[in-house]
Amino acid sequence: MSELTWSTKSSRPRITLTPSLGQKYPDDSHMALRLEGSAKETLEQGRNRLVMAGVIFAFCFVILAGRLVGLAISGIGGEETVASDVDAPPPVAITESKRAEIKDRNGVLLATTLTTASLFAEPQKVIDAKDVAARLTTVLDDMSEAAIVSKLASAKNFVWLKRNLTPTQQYQINALGIPGLHFREEEKRFYPMGALVSHVMGFTDVDNHGIAGVEKYFDAQLGGSDERAAQELTLSLDVRIQHALRDELSRHMSIFRAIGAAGMVMDVKTGEILGMASLPDFDPNRPGDFSGDAKFNRISLGVYEMGSTFKTFTTAMALDMGVVGLKGGYDATEPIRKAGFRIRDDHPKKRWLSVPEIYMYSSNIGAAKMADDVGPKKHKAFLAKLGLLEKPSLEIPELGAPILPPRWNSLETMTISFGHGLSVSPLQLSAGIAAIVNGGNYINPTVIQREEGKMTAVRQVISTKTSDTMRRLMRLVVEKGTGGKAAATGYLVGGKTGTAEKAIGGRYKRDALIASFVSAFPMNDPRYVVFAMLDEPKGNAQTHGFRSAGWTAAPIVGRLISRIGPILSIQPVDEESEAVQKAMFIPINSREKKLASF
Amino acid sequence: MKLNLTVISLVLVAAVSFGLYQLSYEVQGLEKDLRSLSKNISENKESIRILKAEWTYQNRPDVLQALSSKYLPLLLIAPYQVASVGDVPYPQVDPEQYSVPVPRHNPRRDHSPATPLPKGPIQLATFTYEGHLQ
Repeated sequence: MSELTWSTKSSRPRITLTPSLGQKYPDDSHMALRLEGSAKETLEQGRNRLVMAGVIFAFCFVILAGRLVGLAISGIGGEETVASDVDAPPPVAITESKRAEIKDRNGVLLATTLTTASLFAEPQKVIDAKDVAARLTTVLDDMSEAAIVSKLASAKNFVWLKRNLTPTQQYQINALGIPGLHFREEEKRFYPMGALVSHVMGFTDVDNHGIAGVEKYFDAQLGGSDERAAQELTLSLDVRIQHALRDELSRHMSIFRAIGAAGMVMDVKTGEILGMASLPDFDPNRPGDFSGDAKFNRISLGVYEMGSTFKTFTTAMALDMGVVGLKGGYDATEPIRKAGFRIRDDHPKKRWLSVPEIYMYSSNIGAAKMADDVGPKKHKAFLAKLGLLEKPSLEIPELGAPILPPRWNSLETMTISFGHGLSVSPLQLSAGIAAIVNGGNYINPTVIQREEGKMTAVRQVISTKTSDTMRRLMRLVVEKGTGGKAAATGYLVGGKTGTAEKAIGGRYKRDALIASFVSAFPMNDPRYVVFAMLDEPKGNAQTHGFRSAGWTAAPIVGRLISRIGPILSIQPVDEESEAVQKAMFIPINSREKKLASF
Repeated sequence: MKLNLTVISLVLVAAVSFGLYQLSYEVQGLEKDLRSLSKNISENKESIRILKAEWTYQNRPDVLQALSSKYLPLLLIAPYQVASVGDVPYPQVDPEQYSVPVPRHNPRRDHSPATPLPKGPIQLATFTYEGHLQ
């Protein structure tokens, strides 16, 4: 017997007949069975088909293997995100999409975004509207039952019941277990400091878009976009100073029954504003509840005729241009009559006054003559250099442009010399005073923290020498002149009072005053400018009925500086000591006849 | 030989597919962990935001001022209360104190106690019931 096997050795299919044991084939160990004709053809075809199928399968498996290797190396990047998108939105993206925080210079939180729950109802699914309303009012005590019932009676599928619940309210409503009521998470801008930094901060609308203050100015940065992540903002404000400022302003505003008050503290070397308050103010958490007057920023948006504080600029200009020296002076015996106007002094000395006397007694006649000597053109150019004739630059949108006189001739120069005829914002005035006392460099004010040594371009307005003289003159006003009540012992305060009548309807109103006081301290090396202003203060028994700045605005500055001096780490000095007296000495050169000479 | 090859490849296939499934489940588990962790992180971040806001709200300067005026007897710092370290005077030396002659030798150096110290390791001083030093 022999058995049939397939042999794979030869290229052609062949059936070998293995001989049974014992038989001998001398010539060939294999005995091939060769198939011919149609049988061979069929076999050939089957073999080809098999090979073809094998090749196709092998190809597919190679591709699969290749893909596997590829995936093992590169990972499953694309599919991963798709998969997680289906399950849950990536949580990191939620945090990034939040409006960024605003902080003060010490990192105290001023504005943040919180996720709050808002309550909405599907009125179709609410079973008993009256019962629901009754139970809801136990939690939402500021909503009336009737209001809830009317909301639930609507035919819509969706109705807001209350936006931005507190977590406690949400918990309590959840605990009521009313069907048809649902929560939706929403973002709410929250200002923990409330009204304290209202005007600089501004506020946002329901959709968290800034519509005032730095919230508006830096809206893009705070909100972020698809390309750029939201970036937090650090203001130059100091909450402690801001509080002291607002506290003193509101106290004195009620003492003198003023209709408004404003104040600011500014670093003279960097231009950073450490405090800026305008009263009445508003709570940015609920801006809708406050009137337009409360939202009006008297510091940056309001422009006023600032009165005698302008004599600082006039004196600095005259001294810097060499028109008059410290020893020079003007005759202030008679009021000036010009073009139907009469320029007179509030407390006339009726004699010749030296320049320091004109400044310390705040003589309008002297200042007007001084400015007239300089001339209108130079006067205008000088005030322009101090940034008083154009809109200031600050990182809030509420900025008032100054109101210039229609023409600027000799008369206008005379009135502007003592602060009438040109309306500027207190912000501009403070920036100008900072330039006068810091050595003569005008620095743009800012509400954003400036890095040390990273200063904006400055321009020299007056010489360092004139600046030094002006420091002494401002100190003289507090030491011996009209600003005595601003003296904060130890802090060498210097300043200038300014009392101006308000121009209402093209006429000066005698009983409506703007009392302001602008100061700097410590005067031997000024670091901060402090400004305070009262809108329409009324005199009282303590001020003997006086409403002028020396009685109303100066005490604000005095109290404020003694409060903020330690916070700003200003070393108090002994004002009576010889070194300080010498540093602040200025010859008055008075020609006043002393009684002893009689 | 052929049988061996088949068995080996079968075992290999089984092992690889088991490993693959194991890996796949492990990855799914890790992804689940990752999701819950990121959720936790975002929840914690949200809590931190709320707590920070709450903390700032409770520390408003006017609240602190009201509390300090109620509970602390502190007033404004007067200029005379501020001084530098250099202004602080050194303590006054009383000349009387140093007029008493200081003995050259410690007088107790050659003193031998009436009762000899107990032998053995040094003991700590303790009080007896009568209150005497033992």
